[in-house]
This record gives sequence, C-alpha cells and structure tokens, in this order.
Amino acid sequence: MIRKHFKIGIRNILKNKGFFGLNVGGLIIGLTSVILISLWVHSELSYNKELSNYNNIASVMQNRTFAGEIDTNIGQAMQLAPVLRNEYGNHFKHVVTSTRSSDFEITYNENIVIANGRFTEPDITHLLDLEMIDGSRAALEDISSVLISESTAKSIFGDDNPIGETLKLNSVLDMKVAGVYKDLPKNSSFNKLNFIAPFERLKTSQKYDERLGWGNRWFQVFTQLENNSSISNVSALIKDVAKNSNPEDSGDPQLFLFPISKWHLYSEFKNGVSVGGKIESVTVFSIIGIFILLLACINFINLTTANALKRGKEVGVRKTLGSSRKQLIFQFFTESFMLILFSFCIALTLAFIILPQFNTITLKEVTVPFDKFSFWLASLSLIIITAILSSLYPSVYLSSFKPVKALKGVNDNTKSPLVLRKTLIITQFVISSVLIIGTLTIVSQINHVKDRPIGFDKDLLVSVPINNSRVLQGFESIKNELLESIHIDQVTASDVRVTGTYTTNGGFDWKGKDPNFEEEFYTIRATHGFGKMVDWEILEGRDFSREFASDSLAFLINETAAKYMNLENPIGEFVNWGGDETYKIIGVVKDMVTLSPFDPIVPTLYVLHHGDYLNYVNIKLASNTGNVETAIGKIESVFKKYNPENLFTYRFLDDEYQENFETEKRTAKLVGIFSIVAIFISCLGVLGLSIYMAIQRKKEIGIRKVLGASVKSIWQLLSKQFVILVAISLLISMPIGYYFSSQWLMEYSYRINLNFWIFVLAGGITIGITLITVSFQAIKAAIANPVDSLKTE
Amino acid sequence: MNTKLLSLNEATRTVNSGSNKVALLDNINIQVYEGEFISLMGPSGSGKSTLLNCIGMLDNFTGGGYTFLGEPVHSMKEKNRSKLYKEYIGFVFQAYHLIDELTVWENIETPLLYKSIKSSERKALVADMLDRFNIVGKKDLFPQQLSGGQQQLVGIARALIGKPKLILADEPTGNLNSKQSTEIMELFSQLNKEGVTIIQATHSEKNASYGSRIVNLLDGKIVPE
Repeated sequence: MIRKHFKIGIRNILKNKGFFGLNVGGLIIGLTSVILISLWVHSELSYNKELSNYNNIASVMQNRTFAGEIDTNIGQAMQLAPVLRNEYGNHFKHVVTSTRSSDFEITYNENIVIANGRFTEPDITHLLDLEMIDGSRAALEDISSVLISESTAKSIFGDDNPIGETLKLNSVLDMKVAGVYKDLPKNSSFNKLNFIAPFERLKTSQKYDERLGWGNRWFQVFTQLENNSSISNVSALIKDVAKNSNPEDSGDPQLFLFPISKWHLYSEFKNGVSVGGKIESVTVFSIIGIFILLLACINFINLTTANALKRGKEVGVRKTLGSSRKQLIFQFFTESFMLILFSFCIALTLAFIILPQFNTITLKEVTVPFDKFSFWLASLSLIIITAILSSLYPSVYLSSFKPVKALKGVNDNTKSPLVLRKTLIITQFVISSVLIIGTLTIVSQINHVKDRPIGFDKDLLVSVPINNSRVLQGFESIKNELLESIHIDQVTASDVRVTGTYTTNGGFDWKGKDPNFEEEFYTIRATHGFGKMVDWEILEGRDFSREFASDSLAFLINETAAKYMNLENPIGEFVNWGGDETYKIIGVVKDMVTLSPFDPIVPTLYVLHHGDYLNYVNIKLASNTGNVETAIGKIESVFKKYNPENLFTYRFLDDEYQENFETEKRTAKLVGIFSIVAIFISCLGVLGLSIYMAIQRKKEIGIRKVLGASVKSIWQLLSKQFVILVAISLLISMPIGYYFSSQWLMEYSYRINLNFWIFVLAGGITIGITLITVSFQAIKAAIANPVDSLKTE
Repeated sequence: MNTKLLSLNEATRTVNSGSNKVALLDNINIQVYEGEFISLMGPSGSGKSTLLNCIGMLDNFTGGGYTFLGEPVHSMKEKNRSKLYKEYIGFVFQAYHLIDELTVWENIETPLLYKSIKSSERKALVADMLDRFNIVGKKDLFPQQLSGGQQQLVGIARALIGKPKLILADEPTGNLNSKQSTEIMELFSQLNKEGVTIIQATHSEKNASYGSRIVNLLDGKIVPE
C-alpha cells in the first residue's frame, strides 16, 4: 500500500509541478534555516562539554563594591589559591592559579610565531585532563619546562621531535619543551591554549613574591571540586576568604565559584548577579528557528488545503470505491511525509554547503556531525515534528469530505479551513514583520552609534605595541627618527589605546568627596602632545605643556569625571592619589568615547607620563600622505632597528574602533537573513494561495469582465483580501516588535529612541512585498480573455 | 422467484433549506429483486441521483426503512454499512470519476486494495477484467488519454471488479455520443443477463427500455403506474 501511495504521490508531484515547487521550496528553505540554527544552538549549548571534568570545574569570581555598584570580576590575587588549598582542601581536587590567557611571541631558530598561552600551576594538566602525546604531565613541575599543544608543535617544529628543544618566549624567557598535549576541544574555553608554562617560573623571574599582594588581582583561579562537593556549598564557605585575608580591602570582596557550564553562556553580571550573556542570542535564535519552521509548516497546510479543490474528487471516488477515512488519512500523510523527507534531504545538503559561509558570520567552527547517532535522531525528530505540524490537519481535512459532495466538486468556501487559512497567513506575516522590525531596529541602532560623536580624531592614527624595554628606552630616538619622514606628523606614547581604555584606579581624595564614596576612575597615561594628536577639545583650562614642569603632577579630567567628582569649578582643585601624591586639575576635556561606543562615557583622568607604564607608540600619519604603505614601511624599519627581536605589529585605531560594531553587525546580519527567509517563505505561501484563488474565481472574473470590469478593478478585487490580512498582522506585530526591540535596546546606554518610521517602514516593506506577490497572479487573471475562462466552465 | 435484494419502506430524505424542510425523496416504497434491471426516470431535480446515492449508502435516508439483503441499513453503524457496500455495490458515474493520477490498470485495481486482496489475486482479477472488456492494450494509459466511451468502460470494469451484486449507474451514458451509448447499454444488458442487478438513472427512453422495469420519479415521489 505504501508503495502505491508513493507512486501516486510522485505522479501528483509531476503533475502539479508549480504547486509542489512552492510547497517544497518553502519547506526546503525553512528546514535549511532550522538545521543551521539548530547546529549553532547545539554547539553553543554544548560549549565546554567535551572537557572530561566538565561537571566539576569552576572558576573563582569576586564581587567588589564601587560607588554602590557591585562589580564582578574573575581577577584574583596569587595568594588566594594556597589559602583555598590549605584551608578548604577537602572540597577541592585541584586549585590552580593561572595568568589570563594572552598572546606571546615564541622564537625558535630565528623564527617567530604568535602563540596563546598561560602560566599556570602544574595541576592544570589534571584539571583539564590533558592527553599527552609526548612527555608527561608531571614535566610541568620543572620550572624551566613548557608544554605545547600538538598543533603548536606542528607549526613550530613540523615533523621534528620537539622534546628537549628550547623556545624563547617574548625574547626573554628560555623554556624547554617537555611535553606535547593533544589540542583542547575547539568548542571550549581553552580552545586557544597553545602552550602551558609553569607559574612558578613567572613568579620567580618577575619577583612576584616581593611585589604582589592581595590588591593585585591579576590572575585567575580555576578549581576542580571533589565529586561530593557542591558549587553552592563551597561558594558559601569561601565567600569571605579574600576579605579575611586582607582586612584593609575596602571593596568588600565576596568570592564565589562560577561553574564551567556557565562560563560561555552566562558571562554577564550586573550588580553581582548573573544576568545572562550569550544565552540570550541562543534563545532569540532558537525562537527564530521555531518560527521559521512554523512558517514553512503553515505554507504546507495552506497550500495543501487549498489544493483540496483538486484532490476532493479523488477523495470522493476513493470513498465510493470503499476506502475508509483512515486509509485516506494514511495516504495523504504518506504523501506529505515523502515530500518532507525529500525536502529534508535537500535542506541538509544545502545546509552542508552553506555552513562555511554561516560559520564566517557566526565566527564558529560548526560542522554537521554526520557520524553522531544523536544527530540522526534529532533529524528524525525534526522530520516527524514537521510532518505532524504540516500534514496532520490537511490529511484529516481532505479525508473528511462527504463522497457525494466531493464528487460534485469541493466548494472551497467551507468556513473552517478558510478561517484557518486566514489565521495562518496572519500568523506568518506577524512573524515576518516582527523580524523585519527587529532588523530595522538593530540596523538603525548600529548607524546611530556609528554616527555618535566620539570626541577625537581617529583617522590616520596607528598604534604600535611596546613589547620590549628597548623600545621604551629608545622612545625619544624612535620618535625623532619617525618624525623625519614626511609621511609622519606626530608621535606620542600612552599606556592604552585611546579606542579601548581598560586601566582603572581608586584611592583618590579631593575636597568635598563623600568619605563613603568608593570611586573608580579610568586613567590614561600619555606623553606630551597626546591630546593634540587625538585632537581633543579642551573645554576649560589648558592642555599639558612642556613649559610647566609641575605638569607631571597634574590631571586633565573629562566632563563626566567633573560631574562624577561633583566639582563645579574643577580647574585648580587638588586631588590626592594614593595618599602620597597630590595632583592639580589643570583642564577639562570634552568627553571622548574611549570604550565601546555602545557604552556610556566613563569618568577619566589624563596623566602625563614618560615611564614604564607606556604600552603603545601612537603615530599620526600626515594628512596629505597619499601612501599609507610607505608610511607603515618607514615605521616598521624604525622599529626593526631598535627592536630586531620582536615581530612588528601595528593597528589603525579606525579599524580598532570599527571592531566595536562586530557583534552587533553579526546579529544584524543573522536576523536580517532570517527575516528575509521568513518573508520569502510567507510570500511563497501567499503566491500559492493567490494562484488558487484566481483559479477558483476564474468564472467570476470572466463574468465581471464581460460586464465591463477593468483590469485595475479586478486586480483590486483579488489583492484586497491579502492586503487586509497583512494589515491585520501589522497591527498585531507592531506592539510585539516594539516590545522585543525596546528590550534589546535596553542593553545599550547609548541608543536610539524607537522611532515611528521603523514601524512605518516595516509595514511598507511587508505590504509592498505582498502586493507584488499577489499582483503577479491577480494581473494574470485580470488580463485573461473572458471567453476562455467561461468556456472551460 | 428471485430473492429480494433490497427494499425501501416509506424512505424519505429531507434537507434543511433555511428554516424550511425540503423533501428530496418522499415516502419511497420499492422492492428490488436480484436479477432486475431497473431504470429510474424523471426530469432533473426529481430525485433520481439522491435515490441512487442513498441506496448506494453514500448518502443516508432521513426517515423510513432500508433493508439490504435482509439487513436493516438504516440502523446500521457506519463501519458495517461501509463493509456492506464495499462487498455488494458498484458505482458507475456519468462523469466516469476515474482517478486522473492512476493508470487504467490501477483504477480498476483500486477497489481491490480497499478489500485487502492479495497482490497475485488482484493481478489475475484485473487482467481478466481487461481481457473481458478488450482494453488490455490500454492498461498503462491514464484516463485523459482515453475517449469518453473508453473511460466509461474502465469505470464499469472498476465497478465490476469487486463482483458486486448491485450496480448503481447514474446517467452512465450522459456524456457519451449515441454510438458509445448503445455499446454501454448493450454491455449493461449483457451483465444483467449474467445475473448482476442494475439500477440506472437516465433521461433517455431508449436507454430506459434496456431495463426490465421503469420507475418514474417526480418531485421526490414515485409516480404510480
């Protein structure tokens, strides 16, 4: 029987190619999107799960209170881990201090590669359950050793044996390769870990024991709990460890354990509480995925029930020949199932082909896990869910016709499917227009922020990191040599890039400060000429000047800082920093966007500095330089001269600034693509329905034309219905779109007000696309010769 | 005397038209014996088709009694009723009502599928039928590729494949030219001689004359002879 159904199904498809094209086309596009979204969502949800100690790993986090706000940070003092081991050792299998992961230059035989790594305590090897390819985990106990990952070994040594070879780290530390471990899973927080070096080595060489106390929270502490310990219990136990160990700390430090399962998706904290993070995108895209599947199923339902006109007769005949309703339901279901299976196969192939492009947008390395049983199980569930959603109702509906009526020709105006079909179309357009509103909101928010006045001139600004003390010592000579070039205008140095500050400081005191106020300022240290270079605007007072030697103890502050300090006339006020040095405020700078342009301006202090803290050389190219490459070449040659050991790297601050928009641009792209998919699927459905409507009303149209109706009036007659449906869906979608868009915008302090035009535009787009779709058919029907359409009746 | 195939006892079929009840069939009394060939005659709207549909159990009487082979159809459950007509009744339509997507062979085979007859037996039965109607050469064609007369032949073959006791034919020659009509009526006559009971609805006196008895209908009532 199934074979028969299959055969008839195929013949039906071949006979109604257009109809099935629309039906299957929508389904394929929908399923492709759903497959891509599911793969991405699955990869996000399974982040870190491949690590064997997934269930027991947690990092230690710290809540600190500044100016009434709780700030959550992963940074810990190096003294913490020993305390945890000694006093709470029975709860932990391993407690490991680690530096933050960062890039290093590794030199071997004159060749330099950039590698990401950490200095950690040796137990990290057990915590991460490193699989050693060569050497042993215990090798890390030797402080001159280093473990490298398989891929790093390959890129440095090729096929040669790396064990025992010496690598130079940042042209300073010599380290002996003592082991090679298998690369950690790509889909994990340690995916970039190219090498692991002993923390003890760093500690000794940098004399950390003498220099660093509880206040230097430069490190991370990872723990692996005992199997019978719970995160919440141990969190409660260790809560006050930092506070008790360092009673002078005024930030009220509270420690807690943050399980690895939350690192990736729940990384954002507000006032000490986890407020989500990437999980929000996961939720949003899951919902979009479900909606798109729904849209595709709705098409299927609408087109199949509209086709009842054709299938009705067959139902009548079969019933008179003795078919039971069950058999008919089964027949129709089999046909639909076949179509869905077929669509799924094509969709899977398409998804496989598109995946690389999709990965470049999502910045992931998702693959189709053809080898996993769970993947096929999930696919099967998707097919079954789709089949049930899309073909259960049509099968039941088609099989319900009374044979006598069906033989006379099904009158498609029976109420229930018509109402259902209209409801479904409205649903489709609600979903599509909510997505369009979302896309427009994101795009206009991005444009709004792009247009934000940033308060400085980032054009033609190049920054070169200072990664060697020779550069620092030779700064003046470097500067003079650079300035000889006609391509270079100005040269300064600073501790941070002006497009991305990160250094904060506390311990300030000034006249009128509330003694309970726990202040936190961003600080930018720079050489003379920095302000002129970035072209900042001095609102009051003056810039740093070489004429005043006293400027080494002077601050420029930004407008926000003046407000933050509650100073009406800041010029001339004195600020004590750290108890022993008093600085004078000599100027107020117009606010500059030195963090992400989506974020509010932070209170910032500018300090003159010519010492060790400088991390970047900033170079302003001449505005008339036609040849940026020559300028960069010049800069490179000068740096190579003073620092031949390190790689020469540079960044244009303009590029750096644009990177602030990457996340939002990605979201906009994805939401945009999926809203196009949604509207496209909806249009396929509307196209199909308008075709059927035109067939159904062929006679009516013929008669109307004979009676003198114009093409335009018939076009209106046929389009009106759909426009009304779309209008209703717009009314429904606007409040929904408004709600979601404003929720999304709440995340940004610098944001647009949701404008009326976004909704007008979304409405215009939706109605416009619908009209174009419907008009194809409507006009075709309207210009048909009435004689032909009446003859066929 | 042959056994009684079916009997209608004051059978009525009403429909609601607005607030009015309209009787499509009004107090029909009729007995049909096996081997009869009855022609229902009457103008359009007189109730011929409704009567055939109700007898064929595609439609139900709303009042009165309907007995088929001694069993009371009017009090039967849907399931049993469907079993009954699958077993004993075959339909022939004016518009043939072949399934467009199926070949001649498959169209004829379809009723057997619903009777769950084994594949080998189905093949034999269909082959016999094709043979008997001289349409073996057309077995792989689709309905649109046949003339009206040929389509109706397939329709009749399909009605006969289940070996029914009763054939209900609603204007079987309505869409055919006179030559084709004669052929079909000759065929019915032949089938009737072989023992199949036939009830046909027709406008044509010539066609009606093939039957053994004529029942005239007017406004849902049997016109007394």
